[in-house]
Amino acid sequence: MLKKTNRTGLGTCALWCASVVLLVSSCSPSASRVTVKRISAGQEFSGLLSSYTNLKPNPNFANTKSYVSLDPAKNIHRYLAVIIDRPVVYISSDADKRAFSDRGVAALTEYFQDAITDAVSDAFPVVQSSGPLVLRLRSAIVGVDVGPETQGDPKDSNRLEHALNIEKVGVEMEVVDSETGEQIAAAVDRQNLGEGAMIGSVIFSREEKFRAATRAFDGWAARLRQFLDSAHELSKEDIEHVEATNFPYDSADVPNK
Amino acid sequence: MKRGALLAALALVSLSGLVAQEISTFTAYVDSDICARLLLGPITSDRAQCSKSTYNDGSSAVLVRLRNNMVLSVNKEKMISPFVGQLAEVSGKVKVNNENVKLESIKPISADSVPPGDPSRRMLDLQTYPREKNAQLHEKIRHELAMMPYISVFDFISFTQSGSEVILTGWTVRAMNRDEAGNVVRDIKGVETVINNIEILPLGSFDMQIRAAARVALQRHLSRYFWGSGSDIKIVVKNGKIILLGTVTTKSDSDIASIQCNGVPGAFKVFNLLRVQKSGKGT
Repeated sequence: MLKKTNRTGLGTCALWCASVVLLVSSCSPSASRVTVKRISAGQEFSGLLSSYTNLKPNPNFANTKSYVSLDPAKNIHRYLAVIIDRPVVYISSDADKRAFSDRGVAALTEYFQDAITDAVSDAFPVVQSSGPLVLRLRSAIVGVDVGPETQGDPKDSNRLEHALNIEKVGVEMEVVDSETGEQIAAAVDRQNLGEGAMIGSVIFSREEKFRAATRAFDGWAARLRQFLDSAHELSKEDIEHVEATNFPYDSADVPNK
Repeated sequence: MKRGALLAALALVSLSGLVAQEISTFTAYVDSDICARLLLGPITSDRAQCSKSTYNDGSSAVLVRLRNNMVLSVNKEKMISPFVGQLAEVSGKVKVNNENVKLESIKPISADSVPPGDPSRRMLDLQTYPREKNAQLHEKIRHELAMMPYISVFDFISFTQSGSEVILTGWTVRAMNRDEAGNVVRDIKGVETVINNIEILPLGSFDMQIRAAARVALQRHLSRYFWGSGSDIKIVVKNGKIILLGTVTTKSDSDIASIQCNGVPGAFKVFNLLRVQKSGKGT
């Protein structure tokens, strides 16, 4: 009986260990989470966004088309937090998909996801699960191409065989209601920030070209934040309303019985 | 050489960590969270009543360090709860950044035991409590706080101004609002000291459900108080408790707000602190 119990205990332990390993491996960022899609020739947009129909040129952001919902029941002011999805990479229509290494694409998307998180998290705290008052931010890096073969130590495990060329990349993003999927704001940013930028290693910023890539992604993330800020600006009427009604509390306003 | 400098820097960092952890003893008023964040004037009998009644209604117990009016939460609320509405001498490790005290001991004291001239004394004496209100400065602070774009229906930020000292109070769901409020007020000419008692609320899914449901319920029944991106009624939700703040025009609207929020699934308690507009008052 004792033996059986022990064996059951060992079995349970093994099962627990296996579950933990599975859980850890499913949670850790890995190449398996990488999504690479191809943008069709002649297509203006990647197709990631739930709708492109409302996009209009934004006079405040060069080379950008955007949309912000003004629906009183569904607008960006009504949300408090955000889930940031891993960006999706769309490669150029004529790029050789086989030349893209999963490691490189994973590094690229991870870097951009972190840059977005850094840029928006103080305005929209990042949460992990959908729910009321929570947005979902979806983004695409569009137009990634295959770069030249990289130079350097072949034994360097961080080195990519082919660089990722982001010279002609643009970014698409949208925030949707995390429960209904309804689009609340969207932007297609074609501002060329990636000029001269290549990614030749899973560790960015080793060389000038790679540093240019980090600058580009930080730049797109910063523009995304500026866009969210502009969408979140108070109208003149709102400011007047707050000023007319927002008075500090004093002792007469608080119960004492 | 470089290694030596690195070691020295590491030692300094650990030393500063130790200094931050030093046990300090200070005079405090044991308050309820609600009164501590809304009433930052002197400790009067009305204040003590407010502390006791809101604590009994479920608001958590906190400490107000009398020297600078800073609100501090504690790791062991049970240790301070018997003293709500009283003064106490508190010992513990104060983490100023977290506005938290790791309590070592607490003992009640009388107001007489705080010596004259002690900075804590000014909070205990209505006569000496500084009440210099500069109307222009007050209005400027109010204006700057009103301009903050990320204040939502679920945030409430208020302040007390006395001379060049401003105490910011309230609750917010965004850490940036707390920092921004502190920065914008600090930048106003005439403000020298800012005590920032704005609490950052957790964004747990449970509270989020309550926030959303409370807003839906209030908007359905009191839609006239909701406008553009905001509302005259603020819905502060903390650990299942709803605090209603702001101004409504009639007592019956205030009652409707209470009834609606009491019906929100998962809400443990509703503190209705809505002001009813008085004719002739600015609110």
